[in-house]
Amino acid sequence: MSIEETVPDGGTITGDEASADTPFGTVSSGTMSRRDRYKMLANEWVIAPFKILWDDWRARVGTLIILAYVLMGTVGVRLVDPPRVGEGDRLVSPFEDMSHPLGTDNMGNDIFAQIVHATPPMLEMIVAGAVFTTVMAVVVGTLSGYKGGWTDQLLMTFNDILMTIPGLPLVIVIAVILEPRSPWLVGVIITVNAWAGLARAIRSQVLTLREESYVEASRLMGISTPQIVMKDIMPGLMPYILVNFVNSARSVIFASVGLYFLGILPFTELNWGVMMNLSYETGGALYTWETAHWLLAPMVTIVILSFGLILFSQGTDRVFNPRVRARHTSAADPEEGDEDMSGEVATHIRG
Amino acid sequence: MSKTDDTQTATTAGTGAGTDLSSIRVDDPIVEIRNASVTFDMERGESRVLDEVSLDIERDEILGIVGESGSGKSMFASALLDAIVNPGVLTGDVTYHPQGDAEVDVLGLSPEQLRELRWEEISMVFQGAQSSFNPTITIRAHFEETIEAHNYNMEQAMAHARELLSDLYMDPDRVLDSYPHELSGGMQQRTLIALSLVLEPNVLVMDEPTAALDLLMQRSILSLLEDLQEKYDLSIVFITHDLPLVAGLADRLAVMYAFEFVEIGPASDLIGNPTHPYTRALLKAVPNLDTPLSEMRPIDGMAPDPVDVPQGCSYHPRCPLADETCRAEDPTYHDVTSDHQSACFHWEDSAEAIPLSTDGEHGETQAFAGEQSDEPVVSLEDVDVHFDQVSDGGLLSVFQEPDTVHAVDDISLDVYENDVVTLVGESGCGKTTLGKAVIGAQRPTDGTVAYRGQDIWEAKDSRRETDIPYEHIRRSLQMIHQDPGSSLNPNRKVAASLKAPLKRWEPDMDPDDRQERILSLLEYVGMSPPGDYAQRYPHQLSGGEKQRVALIRALLMNPDVILADEAVSALDVSLRVEVMDLMLELQDLFDTSYVFISHNLSNARYFSGKAGGRIGVMYLGELVEIGPAEQIINDPQHPYTKVLRWSTADLDIEETVEDPPLRGIDIPDPVDPPSGCRFHTRCPEAREACTRAQPTLDGHDDGTEHRTACFREYDESHEYWESEPIVDDADDADVAVGGSDSDARTDE
Ligand code: SF4
Ligand code: SF4
Repeated sequence: MSIEETVPDGGTITGDEASADTPFGTVSSGTMSRRDRYKMLANEWVIAPFKILWDDWRARVGTLIILAYVLMGTVGVRLVDPPRVGEGDRLVSPFEDMSHPLGTDNMGNDIFAQIVHATPPMLEMIVAGAVFTTVMAVVVGTLSGYKGGWTDQLLMTFNDILMTIPGLPLVIVIAVILEPRSPWLVGVIITVNAWAGLARAIRSQVLTLREESYVEASRLMGISTPQIVMKDIMPGLMPYILVNFVNSARSVIFASVGLYFLGILPFTELNWGVMMNLSYETGGALYTWETAHWLLAPMVTIVILSFGLILFSQGTDRVFNPRVRARHTSAADPEEGDEDMSGEVATHIRG
Repeated sequence: MSKTDDTQTATTAGTGAGTDLSSIRVDDPIVEIRNASVTFDMERGESRVLDEVSLDIERDEILGIVGESGSGKSMFASALLDAIVNPGVLTGDVTYHPQGDAEVDVLGLSPEQLRELRWEEISMVFQGAQSSFNPTITIRAHFEETIEAHNYNMEQAMAHARELLSDLYMDPDRVLDSYPHELSGGMQQRTLIALSLVLEPNVLVMDEPTAALDLLMQRSILSLLEDLQEKYDLSIVFITHDLPLVAGLADRLAVMYAFEFVEIGPASDLIGNPTHPYTRALLKAVPNLDTPLSEMRPIDGMAPDPVDVPQGCSYHPRCPLADETCRAEDPTYHDVTSDHQSACFHWEDSAEAIPLSTDGEHGETQAFAGEQSDEPVVSLEDVDVHFDQVSDGGLLSVFQEPDTVHAVDDISLDVYENDVVTLVGESGCGKTTLGKAVIGAQRPTDGTVAYRGQDIWEAKDSRRETDIPYEHIRRSLQMIHQDPGSSLNPNRKVAASLKAPLKRWEPDMDPDDRQERILSLLEYVGMSPPGDYAQRYPHQLSGGEKQRVALIRALLMNPDVILADEAVSALDVSLRVEVMDLMLELQDLFDTSYVFISHNLSNARYFSGKAGGRIGVMYLGELVEIGPAEQIINDPQHPYTKVLRWSTADLDIEETVEDPPLRGIDIPDPVDPPSGCRFHTRCPEAREACTRAQPTLDGHDDGTEHRTACFREYDESHEYWESEPIVDDADDADVAVGGSDSDARTDE
């Protein structure tokens, strides 16, 4: 591309052409080593966000809980032996025999081991569902919002059809037909139309953002559409997307557990939902106190994970808030923050 | 922590100043403010946003309070009504004197008493009327609610409301039955004024009541205020950043700097003989129509941070007269005359040190006029831009019927190299749309836009090679947006925003060079240390700094034309000259042309005038007059330009705010523009012929650059001169509400 040549006034300023006394001709004197640059990037993208998360107790607790589950699913399965039938006595109560801390079920399987070994498939399912929902919603929502025109109409028509189909019956029908066994597939099936609502919400936000002056400025600078979407539109949506990612993770947990509990999904591997189903079906856990722990243990496991996710999502939108970020990037001036202050004061007054 | 120490010392010194009350007393005060302070506890220390302020408001006066944003003037307004929001803490005394000897201690009132006081005795009008109305109920309901809440007699009060509305040039019935969104911004603001006066308060506090409005509307409202003040014996406190705006209106002026009043006095005295160095600097910094261009200059330095106000006189870091005393002690008020005070030790010397009139020494200014080319860079031919209203989500969506808005109608315009063209007009006149058409950001409905002879839209659409590829055109035409708040991506640091254009157009550039270039540019526009600024997010920059970054970003593209859409309007008056100077300086450096859009004739004069450029005046989608800047300002031909000229406040206080030289103050609906000359519904010179035929810019070529689309420019033989003057009749639907009342006032 030879833009320089086509400029009749010879005004293009490139490094060699411009005279040194205009700031546009400046050439760097010192070189920043590759190492320093990576360090800076790491600071900006990894360390600073982590620091921000750590600053907020909710996010801190949430992160720890999620981390604990991940550890349970990765390291835990190696440390704890898989449950075996007749491993212990039948229906041992929790905290009675320390070799079975959470007790055993009616076949003598260790419940703690069951919970630990059910973690990896559960996590896979959650991740699959949450990622699928978010990616679909973001792609469809931004594409249709930013492109507009017939792309928008086509995508939104499809989207609306999905939205009007009731979710649960659809999932049940698909599950019965496909009998999915892989947890990844189960995750996707559960969220098969759950993303449509989110896609619409994202579209409307994109519609607002694309009218912002800075987006127009980028367009006028000839920056490509994917770049604009990535750099100018997405960051504004990130808090929203993240909160919805976590929410869909939670709904995957609940939906899968519910479906397993109802016996709609095939029992393949160990699963918290399956445990609850068995405790109820074969142990009558809802009616007798002896088997209650069999039902309660997976339930509590689920509740704690869901709680952790909620806390995490509440803490994370701070990560994307430039006001908070600014306070955490070390390069920034310690005096900063006065602008937000006067801004805040001003809004107080106007309000 | 030295900071806290500073604040404390400043406080003690401040108390010294505050206790010297004799000088700010007036004979018959309606509100007395004594030692009022507002503080906020911040992480970084105590932020003092109002610093031991004492002031009297005289009964039946109009007091103008002038200060830049962040000077504490809004705090003062809130303090008057004990309306400081948590966590702010207000200390001091505010005493309200109703008729006679009665005294009300405002800060000691119960919430219920305060609520009564706020509407019935002292009422307030804020900027941004839109947010003050409840969009779901009619204007009538707003009035009734207010009246009911205060147990006033509904019938009498409503009668009063109607009277107020018609005093404000509006048709009471039509306004009362409207929903807020059905009224234009100017009508909303006037309605709000009527609403705040319906309970017959004695004091009206107005905080930037007109800032969001067009100049013409501002001026019109101001002239109405004066009438209201006389008719209803009001005391008005008018708070603004715009010194020329209040100069002609106010009886007394008080200038605020760094959270205290630095100079108080009768308006004529304060403008004619300002003694505080800040007041003098401010007067020079404000763009206006009278001061020779060479004399306007920005104030150096920055206003202080409320946490860290300089010790001694808070103005000393920027003051050319500052000496040891100033740095150590906070000046008390010095009497210039018995009713004119100045908080400056050296007030007697300020006139000499900071002269306001030309005296050779200060005469040197750069003239920025560059060589202009013969061939236009961008040329527009018969361009039309029409919008369908349904799809237009912006301002115009308030009109319901899906109709076509003629945002730009049949305009031809050439922009040369090194050119400056300023487009002025009221909001909704199509100036932004025309500007965007010039830089290829808005596709014209009809007509052609060519860049160096190449049709821009053809280049974009065609798949074949065009003479000049679209990419190159795109790069050559850039824009700076109006609102500094949204011109930069809030999620990206300054450096990232500035790198984007370089990465796009010079992808091979070494990252270090890129960084270095950005830093040196930041330094060049006065943002230093640049390394620090580069790492900031937009919210950490002031409005002026954001505009500078936006300017650099546009220039990094090395464009031929930059559209600057109201680029300085959102800035404080005193900053405008500085930013405009910077823009012109960079133009010199880069051989760029500007299309500058402004609703403000003073800015237009400064910007175009300094660069030897042109001013184009737009009205309802048409270019009605265009010519060299000084000619348009000093010798306007079109009646509409004359109106704009009138609406631009100048610093001449002798001249009171007169009635507007036009027949209606509201703009006709752009969906259904008037026939013939579009201005005929408001034009004081309109004759019958104007309603039928449309004057053009070229109808009477006299060979000069200054062209006007009005029949009065045509020669004697034109039918205009024979036809009857238009007399308004009340049913003329196109005339703005209240247009019928106004004709009586215009035949002066
Ligand atoms: S001369 Fe001294 S007291 Fe007066 S404004 Fe300047 S610094 Fe303040
Ligand atoms: S043509 Fe007639 S109505 Fe239009 S501006 Fe001239 S005098 Fe006024």
